[in-house]
Amino acid sequence: MFKSIFLFEIKQGFKKPSTYIFFIIFFLLYLFVGLGLSGVLPLATGDSNVFVNSASSVAGILVGLNESIMGLVNSVILVAIMATAIQKDYEYNTHALFYTKPIKKSAYYFGRFFGAYTVALFVFFSQILGYFIGCMAGSGNPQVGPLNMMSFIEPFLLFTVPNLFLLGIIFFSLTTYTRSNMTAYLFSIVLLVIRSITDTITSDIDNKTMAAILEPFGQEAFQRITEYWTPEEQNNYLIPMSGVLLYNRLLWVGIAIIITAVSYFKFSFSQFLVPFVLFKKKVKETLSPASSQIQNLSDLPVVSRIFTTKANWKQLFYLAGFEFKKMTKSVFFVIICALGAAMMFVISQFTGAIYGTQTYPVTYQILEAVAGIFQFFILILIVFFSGTIVWRDRDNKVDELVGTTPISNTILFFSKYLGLIYVTGILMFVIMLTGIIIQLSQGYTNVEPLHYIKELFGFRLASMIVVIGLCLSFQVFLPNKYLGFFISILPILLSSFLFGLMEWNNSLYTFNSSGPGLQYSDMNGYGHKPFVFFIYKAYWISVIIFVSLLALRFFARGKEKSLKARFRLSKYSNGRGVKLATIVSLLLSIGIGSYIYYNIKVLNKYTTATDQEKIQVEFEKKYKKYQRTLQPRIVESNVKVNIYPETRSADASGFFYLKNKHAKALDTIMVIYDNELKYTKLAPLTAYTTVADDKEFGVKIWKLTKALDPGDSIKMEFALSHAPNGFKNSGAETNVVYNGTFFNSSIFPTIGYNPEYELSENAARKKYGLNKKPRMADVRDSVARMNTYISSDADWIRFESVVSTSEDQVAIAPGYLQKEWKENDRNFYHYKMDSKILNFYSFMSARYEVKKDKWLNPADPNSPVNIEIYYQKGHEYNIDRMISGIKKSLDYYTKYFSPYQHKQVRILEFPRYATFAQSFPNTIPFSEGIGFIAKVDDKDEKSIDYPFYVTAHEVAHQWWAHQVIGGNVQGGTLMSETMSQYSALMVMEKEYGKEAMKKFLEYEMNTYLLGRATEKKKEVPLMLCENQQYIHYNKGSIIMYALKDYIGEDTLNAALKRYIKKVAFQEPPYTNSIEFVDFIREACPDSLKYIVKDMFEDITVYENYVKDLSYTPTADGKFKVKLTLGSAKFKVDSIGKQKKVDVADYMDVGIFAEKTVNGKKQPKELLLQKVKMDKPEKTFEFIVAEKPVKAGLDPLGKLIDRKPDNNTWNFGSKPPKVSTAAGNDNMMMMLGGGDDEG
Amino acid sequence: MELKIENVTKQYPNGVKALNNINLTIERGMFGMLGPNGAGKSSLMRTIATLQEPDSGSITLGDINILKQKDELRKVLGYLPQDFGFYPKVTALDMLNHFAVLKGINNKGERKEIVDALLHQTNLFEARKRNISEYSGGMRQRFGIAQALLGNPKLVIVDEPTAGLDPMERNRFHNLLSEIGENVIVILSTHIVEDVKNLCKRMVVMNQGTILFEGTPDQSIETIKNKIWRKHIDKEELNDYRKTMHVIMSRVVDGKLAIHVHSENNPGAGFEMITPDLEDVYFSNITSKN
Repeated sequence: MFKSIFLFEIKQGFKKPSTYIFFIIFFLLYLFVGLGLSGVLPLATGDSNVFVNSASSVAGILVGLNESIMGLVNSVILVAIMATAIQKDYEYNTHALFYTKPIKKSAYYFGRFFGAYTVALFVFFSQILGYFIGCMAGSGNPQVGPLNMMSFIEPFLLFTVPNLFLLGIIFFSLTTYTRSNMTAYLFSIVLLVIRSITDTITSDIDNKTMAAILEPFGQEAFQRITEYWTPEEQNNYLIPMSGVLLYNRLLWVGIAIIITAVSYFKFSFSQFLVPFVLFKKKVKETLSPASSQIQNLSDLPVVSRIFTTKANWKQLFYLAGFEFKKMTKSVFFVIICALGAAMMFVISQFTGAIYGTQTYPVTYQILEAVAGIFQFFILILIVFFSGTIVWRDRDNKVDELVGTTPISNTILFFSKYLGLIYVTGILMFVIMLTGIIIQLSQGYTNVEPLHYIKELFGFRLASMIVVIGLCLSFQVFLPNKYLGFFISILPILLSSFLFGLMEWNNSLYTFNSSGPGLQYSDMNGYGHKPFVFFIYKAYWISVIIFVSLLALRFFARGKEKSLKARFRLSKYSNGRGVKLATIVSLLLSIGIGSYIYYNIKVLNKYTTATDQEKIQVEFEKKYKKYQRTLQPRIVESNVKVNIYPETRSADASGFFYLKNKHAKALDTIMVIYDNELKYTKLAPLTAYTTVADDKEFGVKIWKLTKALDPGDSIKMEFALSHAPNGFKNSGAETNVVYNGTFFNSSIFPTIGYNPEYELSENAARKKYGLNKKPRMADVRDSVARMNTYISSDADWIRFESVVSTSEDQVAIAPGYLQKEWKENDRNFYHYKMDSKILNFYSFMSARYEVKKDKWLNPADPNSPVNIEIYYQKGHEYNIDRMISGIKKSLDYYTKYFSPYQHKQVRILEFPRYATFAQSFPNTIPFSEGIGFIAKVDDKDEKSIDYPFYVTAHEVAHQWWAHQVIGGNVQGGTLMSETMSQYSALMVMEKEYGKEAMKKFLEYEMNTYLLGRATEKKKEVPLMLCENQQYIHYNKGSIIMYALKDYIGEDTLNAALKRYIKKVAFQEPPYTNSIEFVDFIREACPDSLKYIVKDMFEDITVYENYVKDLSYTPTADGKFKVKLTLGSAKFKVDSIGKQKKVDVADYMDVGIFAEKTVNGKKQPKELLLQKVKMDKPEKTFEFIVAEKPVKAGLDPLGKLIDRKPDNNTWNFGSKPPKVSTAAGNDNMMMMLGGGDDEG
Repeated sequence: MELKIENVTKQYPNGVKALNNINLTIERGMFGMLGPNGAGKSSLMRTIATLQEPDSGSITLGDINILKQKDELRKVLGYLPQDFGFYPKVTALDMLNHFAVLKGINNKGERKEIVDALLHQTNLFEARKRNISEYSGGMRQRFGIAQALLGNPKLVIVDEPTAGLDPMERNRFHNLLSEIGENVIVILSTHIVEDVKNLCKRMVVMNQGTILFEGTPDQSIETIKNKIWRKHIDKEELNDYRKTMHVIMSRVVDGKLAIHVHSENNPGAGFEMITPDLEDVYFSNITSKN
């Protein structure tokens, strides 16, 4: 019985064309992804160490693509397959047949379910099949590893099969009970909510494990378990079914089984007759009222019927209101609103977290981070409601009644359109209300209703209007509602997914594009975005109106189904107005489209990533020969910069002094300039001939009539201007804006060939027949060391500038203000540097508030340092923390390193178009996005004061970069970024104590381990760092902190002081990391010399753990603790292959009790001392004064360890066994060939 | 004003001829359209009601060319389809008001007046605030008529309105229909002979897309006068009779089968000539003469 029903169901499934349509669509999508990633398609190529066909890549594709829009597609398709199984018996009235036949319930229920589930598995198998073929088509390419079928099958079994089971049974049960697909969709939204929440809360690393277990589809768990995998491991391991992934899968399969059981036992055949309704209303038995005398029909009042235009409008609004009421009264709508609002609350608890510290709930944060997911709900709602309302008449069999009324198709259609716009409006209102409540509930009172209204009812509603039109048109045109759901999502899916992959990124055909994005900024508001945005929306709305009017020609009125019949039927219904509107909307689409085309293609350059590659290749081929041509160096820059914020334009003029610092005379000068700027002058002030004037690349080469002798200088003059030039396909201009202009010296010409412009990805270089190029010059490369790593044409320069801006703004450049004046209603400022600086300076202009302070040097109280913070009004929150950060930094750095070379420190806020702070000489531009609105909670020891920390880091750069700067070779950033991290850590530790460091270093460890997992070329030891942020910032922090711990702060600082003294402000060749590390090695006692090798010269990873622990109370009321600790030490190569080495290292042992601070339990240190681990496992005994709670090896995480969780363990239980094989987990399965590869 | 149907033909994509060269002229009053399921009645009605497009032919109502001036026709049309439903969770009052708007009754006062009047007329006023989905079959049909009568239609089409109604409801419904038929053209399609007998001045019998008979009910009975014979037989014999005679119907009477046979002459022993009624007309038209 089961078998026959099961087979029947399968047969039905395989008979349906939709099964194959879904199969093919998935197949093609994933095929393209595979082809794209495996390098078969002619696209821009990036380097990667990870094979696209490894198990972790495949799993990443399967679960990763299940996010957002693709997750929605999956749900829609799965509902279409699962929901119809039992429900269709009802729909087609065949249920009575089953009901009356002697079929066993189990056979019927499970037969139907498993039949549908099998069909679903078949359809979703196409994903893996498509990806497989796509990958294998590229076999032989460096991105594709050796073929292993398990890499494809395992992720399918681990994720797709259980996920489909879970979702399948839920959809199946829900649709069986409620006989409505809406509930199934609703539930898929609930799952999405769970997913987004788990996704959001992982911004705090403490929540990661919980999120990994709770997230229904196993994505978080998969990430959690593989996030620290090195490329080598990613290529060779299958996904281990252990740890959080195991718990996650068990939990959710268990939930699925419970749902199955419950729904099975509750199911009965009579269920068909009475659908389960969510909010049951008592149905009154309706008796027909007593018959009464029929009156004369001629007594009926005669009514006037009006068919004027005005009446049409009245009808339109009435019907829109009717649709609106019908939609908003539905349970679906109410639940979506409630869910969305609830989710906004949850997510708002985690907004904008950096290092575990949230931001104030400013309106833009609420709108972007919190309301983003709500927006996705609105999208879902629109997709489903447009299907519902277009098909409502037919589904309820009212179509013939409505079809014979004299209402026009146009009014019927556009009333639905308008109704959906109303609904969207209401949802926007819900977002606004919830957002304001969130702000107030967090004690934030700077609510900006106008900002809400502009954003929600301006920008977002306009976008939604396009989506609504699209969905309605598809539903009107297509012969099936479910197909309509699916097809409606396709353009959104394709343009966000496939188009990106294929580099089809022209905004004219990227569905519902909005033009170059420009984030909202408190400083600059929406800036210049609105005009461009609404041009794009006008374009899309005209397109969509045109499409709607075309779809209207196929409006289903009456019983006709085929396109041709529908077209014939509605032929005479569309009056002249409709035809005119069709033509007008078409003309508008073409007109506005042409205007956009003119802007993105004619006024501006339109390049894809591949085009960009070709440009780079050509540049290299053409000019590489000049790399060895000796060039003069810039020794002075003197510029006048005029900024016109109101027109977003600027001009600059000035001169460089170029000096021949070489031993030979030189006569050829090569200049590279930004050819998107309009240069009106660019010439040396001496006799010369032009050898080349290449406008395409912005290159000029001059031959000096009289060669420049060694030590001589010439003046080079230039004048350039910049004005907004329409808009680009992507990338909004953010240098010069209405408020918050920020650009740097890169607008000026550079001297000589610059290898930075070359194509850097080796896979791409191979494609164009270029030799491999190292990411950075070797640490010993003496030619490369003739330049600093930030400038290829200057050493230390004299700098002077006059900057002007509009009357209401302040303009700032590095240097000391010499003079300030007004001229032609504009503000002018003259800045001059009193000491030499790097060839790296910035220009800023905005309407600033200023807070001033002074730092007095305890060693020299007569020369104070001026502190100035230029900030946006309303962003006062952390100004004092920054000032304090500056003072504490100056205290520390001047005491331990060297004197401060300037007499002022200025921090200047700039719009959040970029989120960094950057140190220019005595001037620190600081993004409004990182710190100005941070909500530091001093009571929460886990909340890191990152405005203070970032300030300390940037101030440290005044030493580490602006005094000491490394040559342009490997390891250069060790002496700038890593040392700034170290300096900031020390300032922070002084201010916040040791405890605050632990949490900070946890973040650093996490970021480092994540970073090395996605390394595209090779991981290198710290001292050979090739500008990899995860190494020079994050690993650097950990290592320098550990180093300080080993040799002592004073010893280390003394070594640094000696180093600075030797290399500060040096002329080329510049220092390198070998020289730096030598100073450190020298400071280390012999017993600790090994750490210099482990930390700086090698990649070293530990696995430290507790094997066993116990304690016994002693007679004198103390406690004797016995600890068996283990340590394994590995040396790792550039792709993450580990080699075990003998351990003989000094490490911390810690024993902790618990104390309660502010109502929260915190560890209290009872013992922390260094021991020597000279055996893999070693037992120690200690006496402590209090009852211990936990203990372990390296408890503060000073050494790099991929599993810091098992470093300590609580007394009272035995820790799990830890494997210390070269692989990181004994449960992991190795694939063939994993060990013997180079 | 009369409804003129000329040479209307419609073939479905699967090859079935739904309407085969239909020619009809229909004047004021009740017009019956009799035929079995699938005869093409509904197709013809939908075609008149602008819900379907014929392959060829023309239909006019007065000076309205229905195939081209669909909106003009819809302004004077009241239509009650065979199978219809309503939106869930809407009261009769709201629903009728909704249809009134769709029909262009834009004056709020007038709309309320006519809606109330029609609800009274169809005896639904008491139940007007009830959800229409809770209505009984008869009430739904009456509501259907109410919406069809909105806006003083000149042409009313009702498709199988009495199917499934109990006798009392049916009776009530007939009264309502005949009331309407006094003023406008009413086309009533049905497969129940009695409906036509009770209500219609003129009628057609349709089968397989073709009009088999057109005229008054009396005329139709005239065509088979003296041609209908009855005999009581055993059930087993039915097939034998079918082979040799044009058996138009058979029904069980007192455990025995009574058959009616259409024949110019006495078909044989045991047959008696009976006075034909409309049912005999109907069945003799729609059963095949072998």
